[in-house]
Amino acid sequence: MVNQETVQDALRVVIDPDLRRDIVSLGFVQNLKVHADRVAFTLKLTTPACPVKDELRKQAEDAVRSIPGVEAVEVDMTAEVRPNPGAIGRAMLPGVKNIIPVASGKGGVGKSTVSANLAVALRQAGADVGLLDADVYGPSIPMIMGATERPMPSGGKIQPVVCHGVPVISSGFFVQPGQAVVWRGPMLAKMVEQLLAGVNWGELDYLVIDLPPGTGDVQLTLCQRIPLTGAVIVTTPQPVAVNIAEKAVAMFNQLKTPVLGVVENMSYWESSKTGEREFIFGAGGADRISLKWDFPVLGKVPLATTVRETSDGGRPIVLDEPESPAAVAFTECAQNLAAQVSIHNLKSETDDLVKITF
Amino acid sequence: MRAPEPPRPIEIGRANEHDVKIRWKDGAEAVYPARLLRLECPCANCVDELTGRKLIQEGVIAEDVHPAGIDPVGRYAIQIYWSDGHQTGIYTWERLYDLMRKL
Ligand SMILES: Nc1ncnc2c1ncn2[C@@H]1O[C@H](COP(=O)(O)OP(=O)(O)OP(=O)(O)O)[C@@H](O)[C@H]1O
Ligand SMILES: [Mg+2]
Ligand SMILES: [Zn+2]
Repeated sequence: MVNQETVQDALRVVIDPDLRRDIVSLGFVQNLKVHADRVAFTLKLTTPACPVKDELRKQAEDAVRSIPGVEAVEVDMTAEVRPNPGAIGRAMLPGVKNIIPVASGKGGVGKSTVSANLAVALRQAGADVGLLDADVYGPSIPMIMGATERPMPSGGKIQPVVCHGVPVISSGFFVQPGQAVVWRGPMLAKMVEQLLAGVNWGELDYLVIDLPPGTGDVQLTLCQRIPLTGAVIVTTPQPVAVNIAEKAVAMFNQLKTPVLGVVENMSYWESSKTGEREFIFGAGGADRISLKWDFPVLGKVPLATTVRETSDGGRPIVLDEPESPAAVAFTECAQNLAAQVSIHNLKSETDDLVKITF
Repeated sequence: MRAPEPPRPIEIGRANEHDVKIRWKDGAEAVYPARLLRLECPCANCVDELTGRKLIQEGVIAEDVHPAGIDPVGRYAIQIYWSDGHQTGIYTWERLYDLMRKL
């Protein structure tokens, strides 16, 4: 006789490779129904951008199908992103589950391009994503996301501009070019807090933040004031760029902000005719810091004219050319990032968090 | 590359009406008298950032000063909202741990 228990036992062999636990003890299996020889259930993952979604579904289906007496299996897929446990109960951004700054050491490595494509790719996977341009010195997100409108005030806060399904706020909406260069720490801190708490972000699974390059006051304010899930580092493969990126890594380490992974941008150039790869800026940069500091490489994005063209045109490449090598790489980065977020949140849920009862 | 395990509190609560009690992961436990904590405020108004000299004047701090509230800051510190309105001090785990020697 097939019953709930036999099905659950069968499903226990399916292990989520990222979270390294079986899908039953992770609580992924829901609405389990057994009608004679027919079994139906929902697999509720921790992110719609799960990189191993299809494999998990197939393994679960196969596991149940192999139970003697089962004729038909129906699996429904859904996802609910887990919040950063450190952020629960914080009044500043109550609806935002995960805040993810994107940082670099050097300028011009593609931080804004990566931020925009990550945000849109996560949105395409079905997540609720916001994008905050905190690069007060050189805001470029409005251009890359094609934000033509200005944000409007609403209920004492600012309503973000929605681009390609992603609510967007940029410091560039409020600060004149060049103005912030002379700002001191407290002014910058105030700006950052305003961009976060003064905006109707609504309910978000992920809020991606495009940071200024380097390790300045904006970064410091964020890490000190806001419970961040973890940072993404963007670098190009050159040793110089990687060395400077390490300074950013060291800063996050010092401020106890996890680094979720590194994206190697302008990693190589691929000939569209022969498919051959040329490593214009050298190779192995991201691999080296990933090994040294113990975080994963989220992906390697090739150098491609279309990346710049689509960004200049306000439509990040993952929107219109999802099959292009660069878009595929960005999507992979987004999936691996989502997986890392789940891993970190599960880990902090089980770590003993400090309990404050004063 | 991983730094050596830094001090981490498990619980931050009340020792009594005003004083703060911290239980640490390594098993240590200490009561921080409220006024002492206030005098040890590390913010730029209370300590000269360059020289490390104390700017805070003991005489003007009320005898019964005490935390009105405590919030976590990131994963490495707390912010204390004092009964006298002062609230700019960020007390890191390291600092609080080291303070135990002064108690
Ligand atoms: N993979 C890529 N292939 C081709 N061009 C790229 C790629 N990534 C980024 N670019 C282009 O490189 C330039 C710099 O990118 P971007 O503005 O994203 O960098 P950044 O790190 O945010 O720079 P800044 O330090 O000025 O904020 C842009 O013109 C962008 O379109
Ligand atoms: Mg930029
Ligand atoms: Zn102070």
